[in-house]
Amino acid sequence: MLSRLRTTTNNILAVAFKEAALMRRDKVLIGVTVIQPVMFLFLFGVALTSKPANVPWIVLDHSQSSYSRRLLSEIQASGYFLPARRVSGYEEGYGLLHRGEALALVVIPHDFHRSVLRGASQVQILLDGADPLSAARIGAYIRAIAASLVLDRGHWLRARQQAPPMELQSQPGKPQAVPVQLPMPPVEQQAVPVELPMPPVEQQAAPVELEQRFLFNHTLNDRNFLLASLAGMLLTNVTLSLAAFGLVAEREEGTYEQMLSLPTTPLEIVLGKLLPTVVLCYGVLVLAIVLPGLAFGIWPSGSLLALGIFTLPFVLASLSLGVVVSTLAATVAQAIFISVFFIMPSFVLSGAMMPHQLMPDVPRHIGALMPLRWYQIGIRRIITRGGGLDDVVVPFLALSGFFALMLFFIRMRSKPRLA
Amino acid sequence: MSWRRLRTLIVREIRATLRDPFTLFVLVFVPLGSLLAFGFVVSTEIEGIQLGVFDGSRSELSRRIVAELVTHPAFEGRSYVRRDELSSALINGDIGAGIVIPAGFERARGRAQDGGEPAQIQLLYDGAESVLAANAEGFLRGIAGAVLREHGSENADIVRIERPTALAPAPAEAGAGVASSVRVLFNPTLDGRPYMVAGTFGFVLSFLTTLITAVSIVNERIGGTFEQLQLTPATSLEIVLGKLLPLGAVFSFDVLVMMLAAWWVLDAWPAGSALLFWSISSFYVVTSLAMGLIFSATSATAAEAVQKTVLFSIPLVQLSGFVYPIRNMPEPVQWISMILPATHFINVSRSIYLRGEGVAELWPQMLLIVAFGIALVVLARRTLESRS
Repeated sequence: MLSRLRTTTNNILAVAFKEAALMRRDKVLIGVTVIQPVMFLFLFGVALTSKPANVPWIVLDHSQSSYSRRLLSEIQASGYFLPARRVSGYEEGYGLLHRGEALALVVIPHDFHRSVLRGASQVQILLDGADPLSAARIGAYIRAIAASLVLDRGHWLRARQQAPPMELQSQPGKPQAVPVQLPMPPVEQQAVPVELPMPPVEQQAAPVELEQRFLFNHTLNDRNFLLASLAGMLLTNVTLSLAAFGLVAEREEGTYEQMLSLPTTPLEIVLGKLLPTVVLCYGVLVLAIVLPGLAFGIWPSGSLLALGIFTLPFVLASLSLGVVVSTLAATVAQAIFISVFFIMPSFVLSGAMMPHQLMPDVPRHIGALMPLRWYQIGIRRIITRGGGLDDVVVPFLALSGFFALMLFFIRMRSKPRLA
Repeated sequence: MSWRRLRTLIVREIRATLRDPFTLFVLVFVPLGSLLAFGFVVSTEIEGIQLGVFDGSRSELSRRIVAELVTHPAFEGRSYVRRDELSSALINGDIGAGIVIPAGFERARGRAQDGGEPAQIQLLYDGAESVLAANAEGFLRGIAGAVLREHGSENADIVRIERPTALAPAPAEAGAGVASSVRVLFNPTLDGRPYMVAGTFGFVLSFLTTLITAVSIVNERIGGTFEQLQLTPATSLEIVLGKLLPLGAVFSFDVLVMMLAAWWVLDAWPAGSALLFWSISSFYVVTSLAMGLIFSATSATAAEAVQKTVLFSIPLVQLSGFVYPIRNMPEPVQWISMILPATHFINVSRSIYLRGEGVAELWPQMLLIVAFGIALVVLARRTLESRS
C-alpha cells in the first residue's frame, strides 16, 4: 500500500517535472505570465477610468454679470474641465457640439442677474449624448455645481453638499462626511462677497444632516475597481492558454499518445500536469496582488489566506474549461480562437471591467455562467471590502460546482479517446 | 504586377477560406457575439440598485423616507434589523448602497430644533463598485433630501418626488441655487447601445481581422504552401494583395452583416450615411489585415503569432477609447492613443453612427486611416520580402 503510494507520488512528480521543464522554455507562456501583468497594470492603473477629465466645454454667456462669472469659475474649478471656449451665438455653440468639439454647452440667459436676485435663476445645459456615460456624469456635475450656489444676503455661497463624490479629497480610513444642510447653509461658510444690494433671505436652522460615506474606496477611484479583478483576468488568460493550447498542441504533435503509453495511470498524468500549472497560477496570483500594491499602494484589505484558498476552485474551474475548449477544437488555431473570443467578452460580461449590477438581465445572466463572474465577486469582497473566507462561501460553491460540471463534461467527451 | 496572377491568388484565397467551416463560423459568430456582449454594457440607467435599510428610529419621518426610497424604481429595498447586518451585506456586495437612520433620530431632531447639533442620517455606498456608486450617489441623497425638505416646509403632505433620470439625479437641488434645464443632443435618452455598437466595429475589425490573417499565414507556412506560393512567379506585393483583398472582401461583407444585426437587435443604425460608414470600415479592415500579416511574417509558430496579436490588440482596443473615453486618460497615454489607427477609426465610426457626420467633417481622420493603411501594406510587403 505504502509503496504504491510512493510510486504514484513519484510518477506524478516525474510528469510534473517534465511539464515544468517544458513550461520554462515556452516563449508564449512567458509572454502571458510576465508581459500581460505589466500591460494590464498599466491599462487599469494608469490609462483607463470612467472619471471625466479634460472635458471640453463651451459657454454662451448672455448675461456677462458677476453672477454668471462666478458660476462659470465654480464649474471650471471642479477640475473636470478644460478652459471654457466662449462663443457669441447659439448657432456657433451648437455647431461645435455637433462636431464633437465640446461635450457641454452652458447657456446663461440675459436676465440671469435679475433672476438670481429674485431667487429663480436658471441656466441651460446642452450635452453631447454621443458619449452617454460622460454626458450623464458631466450633466449631473454642472447641475450640482449650479444648484450649490446659494444666494445669501447678497453673497453667493458655495454649499459644500453638492460636491460630486469623486472630487472629494479624503484620507484613507476616514469616511467622508458630506453634510446636506437643509434648507440653507449657515452663513459662516466661506463667502465670496458680491457688492450688490440684496433682499434678505430667510434663515432657518438645519435640523437634519445627511452624511454620505463611500466605503472601501473613498475617492471612488476606478483604479481600485479595475485592479481588484486583475488576478481574475490574468488567471483566466493563463489557465485557458495553458490548458487549451497545450493539450491541443500535444495532440497535434502526438506527444499525448506517447504519454499514454508510459507506465503511468491517466489520473497520474492529469495530476502531474496539474501540479506545475497550479503552482504557476499561484505565482500569477502573487504578481497580481504585489504589483498593484507596489505601484499604487492598493493592497488587499482582507485575509490573504482566504484569497489563496478561494483562488483554488477558480483555477481548477478555468483549467477544466480550457480542457473542454481543447476537446472542442481540432487544431491549435481553433483552440486559440475559441479561447480568445471567450476571454474578451468574459472580461466585460463577468463584471471585471464594468459593474455587472448595471447590465440588463440577459447579458447579466449570461455573465453568471462564467467562472470569472464568481471569482471577481469573491475577490472584491476579500481585496477591496476586507472580507474573510465566510464572506465568499456562495462564490466558492458556485466555482466548485462549475468545476464539477466541467469534469463531468470532460469525462463524457474524452471517453472514446482514452479507450 | 500582373492582374491575372493577382486574380488567381485571390480566387485561391477565397476558396481556401470558404472551405474551412470553422473560419466561416468564426467570421459570423464572433462579430455577432461581440455586438451582443458589448452592446449592453454601458448603461446610464439607474434601476433596481439593492438598497439596505436600517431604520432604528421607526418614527413617522424615518418611515416616510424609507417608503419613498424603496418604492422608487431606482432602488430595491432590503430591511435589516441590526446595523451590523447591513455592514456585512455591504461587504458581501449584496447591497450597493445603504441608509442608516439611528435609533435616537427623533430625539436628535428635537435637540437640533432647540439649537443643538443637527440630527444625522447616514448614506453608505459600496465604493468597491466605483461606477455603480458614482451613478447611485445623487439619487439616494436627492430623494432623502427631498423628503426631508418637504417635511420641513409647510405643505408636508404633498411630497411629490419626480423620477430622477441620469441627468436629474438630485431633486434635493430643486429650489436651492441655480436650476438647470438639461437637453441632450444626438442621443436624448442617453442610450449606451449606439455608442458601444459603433465602438464594437472598432473592436472586431481591429482584433478578429488581425488574428485571422496572422493565423492563416502561419498555418500556410507550417503546411509549406507559403513556400510554394513564393516559388511561383508572383511578386511579394501580389502575394500581399492576394491575401489582403479577398480577406478584406470577406470582412467588408462582415461589416454589412454587423450593421444589419445591430439595426435589428440593438436598434442602432448610422445617423449619417450608411454607405460612407461601410466604405471607411472596409478600408480600415485593410489596415488591420496588414498588421496581421506583419505579425505572422515575424513569428515562427501560430501560437507566437497569436501571442503577438493578443498582446498588441488588447492595449490597442483599450486605448482607442472603446469603453473608457480617451480624454479621461493622462496626457502621455493620450499621445499613445493618437498614434493607433483604431482610435481614429472608432472616432469616425461614432461620429457617423451618433452625430451623423459626413465627409465634410471627417475627411482629416479618414485621410489618416487611409495613410495608416498604405503605410502598413508597404511595411507588410517589406517584412515578407525580408523573410524570403
